[in-house]
Amino acid sequence: MDRNILTSLQDLIAGAARGDHTCFAQIYERTHLHLFGVAVRMLGNEQAAEDVLQEAYVNIWKNAASYRSSVDGQEIQPITWLIAIVRNKALDALRSRTRRSAHEQPQQHFDAEDDIEVPQGADTAPGALQLFEQAMQALRIEGCMAALDGSFRQSLALAYYQGLSHTEVAAQMNAPLGSVKAWIRRGLDKLRACLSAQGVTP
Amino acid sequence: MRYTDAKLLDALASAYVLGTLEGGARRRFERLLRDRIDVRALVAQWEQRLGQLALSVPARRPSANLWRAIEARTRPVAEHKTPTSRWPAWLRPAGFGLGGVAAGVIAASALFLSAPGLFITSDQLAMRSGERLPQSYVGVLTDAQGQGRLLVSSLRHGKTLTLKVLGTAPLAPALASDERLVLWALPADGAPFAIGTVPASGTQVSALPDTSEKLLSKVSRLVVTRERTATPSAPSADVVLSGSCAKLW
Repeated sequence: MDRNILTSLQDLIAGAARGDHTCFAQIYERTHLHLFGVAVRMLGNEQAAEDVLQEAYVNIWKNAASYRSSVDGQEIQPITWLIAIVRNKALDALRSRTRRSAHEQPQQHFDAEDDIEVPQGADTAPGALQLFEQAMQALRIEGCMAALDGSFRQSLALAYYQGLSHTEVAAQMNAPLGSVKAWIRRGLDKLRACLSAQGVTP
Repeated sequence: MRYTDAKLLDALASAYVLGTLEGGARRRFERLLRDRIDVRALVAQWEQRLGQLALSVPARRPSANLWRAIEARTRPVAEHKTPTSRWPAWLRPAGFGLGGVAAGVIAASALFLSAPGLFITSDQLAMRSGERLPQSYVGVLTDAQGQGRLLVSSLRHGKTLTLKVLGTAPLAPALASDERLVLWALPADGAPFAIGTVPASGTQVSALPDTSEKLLSKVSRLVVTRERTATPSAPSADVVLSGSCAKLW
C-alpha cells in the first residue's frame, strides 16, 4: 500500500482492471466509508449493508474493465460509477426483501412503521429530507430547488436515500400513489434544471 | 413499449437510476441498457446528477470482516509478483514463467535432438514439398460504408493469425493514445472473446492462445471495436468494423 495518495481513483480502477489487487485494495480504502454510509442509509441496518457492499466490491473487482471515463462524450466520475453499483445492489436487496415479506404475508398491506426498518440510531441519524437539503446547500442549488413544494423534495429524498418504491413513498407520506409519481417526476426534472443552471452536471 | 421516444427514454433512465423503475420494466430497461450506447449515456448522465445527492450521506465504518470477506473472494489464488508483461492477460498462457520456459527449452531440445521429424508441422511439410496450403479461416471486415478494410486469416492448425489492413485511410479516425482497436470473435453459442489488437496499417502476425481450429470453428462473425482498457472483458458498443468469418477448407 505504498501507492502514491495522489493516484487518481480512475487510475486505480484501471489498475484493478489489469488485475492489480493492490489497486483494488486502495479503491476500497478510499471509498468504503462513504459507500457503507450510503448502503446503511438505504438498507437500514449494518449487516444487510455489509452484505450489499461485499457484493458491490466483488462486482467492482470483476467489472473494473467495464468502467468508462466517458460514455458518448459524457464524462463519468469514478465515484458516481461506484455509487451507482452500490445503490443498484442495495435496490436489489430491498426489492427482494419486499418480495419475500409480500410472499410471507400476502394479505398485509404496507405499513410504513412495520415494514421500513428505521436506521439504527435513527434519533441522531439525519432524515432523508434533511440529507437532501444538505446536498442542495452543498451544491448551492437550494434556492433553485426551493421553488418546489416540500412534498416534491421529500418524495424524491425518500426514494433516493432510502431506496423506497413509489408505493412505499406513498405509504410513508400518506399520499396518493399518482401524486407521488408526479412529484418525483417533477422533482427529477427540477433537479436536472438546477444542477445544469449551476454548472454542476449537464 | 416503444423505446424510440427520447423523452420516454430519459424518464425511464432517471427512474432506473433513482430505483423507482421496478419489476419487469426494470428488467426490460436493463436489457435495453446492454444493447444501446445512447441509453447507457442517458443513464450515465442521471448517475452523475443523482450521485451528487449521495455526497451529504455521513460516512460510516463497517466491520473489519467486510474487507476480509471481499479479499477472500477477489484476491487471485496464487498471487505472486509477476513482472508487468507487454502481453495482455488473455494472450498469456496460465502459469507462464521463466521456469516453465527453461524447462520447455530443455525438453524441446532433448526431443529435437532425438526426433527432429516431429518438429515439422503439416504446414511446413506442405511448403517444403512446394505446395502452399491455403489459409483455413478467413474473415473480411468492412467499415460502416461497406468498404473491405481488414483481412483476417489463419491456418487451421496454426497458432498465428495474420491481420492485413486494406487501404490507406485510418481504420478509426481520431484514435486517442489510450485507445486501441480490438478484434473480437463472436461465437454462435458463446460469449465474444478478444483475439488481438489491430494494427493501424500494414500487416501484423500475432500469436493465438490456441489453434485457430479450436478457437474459430464456431465463429461466424468478427468485429473490431474501439476499447479504452487494456484487457476489455466484452466488446464496447463502439464497433469500427464487422464482417463474416468463413472456414475455407
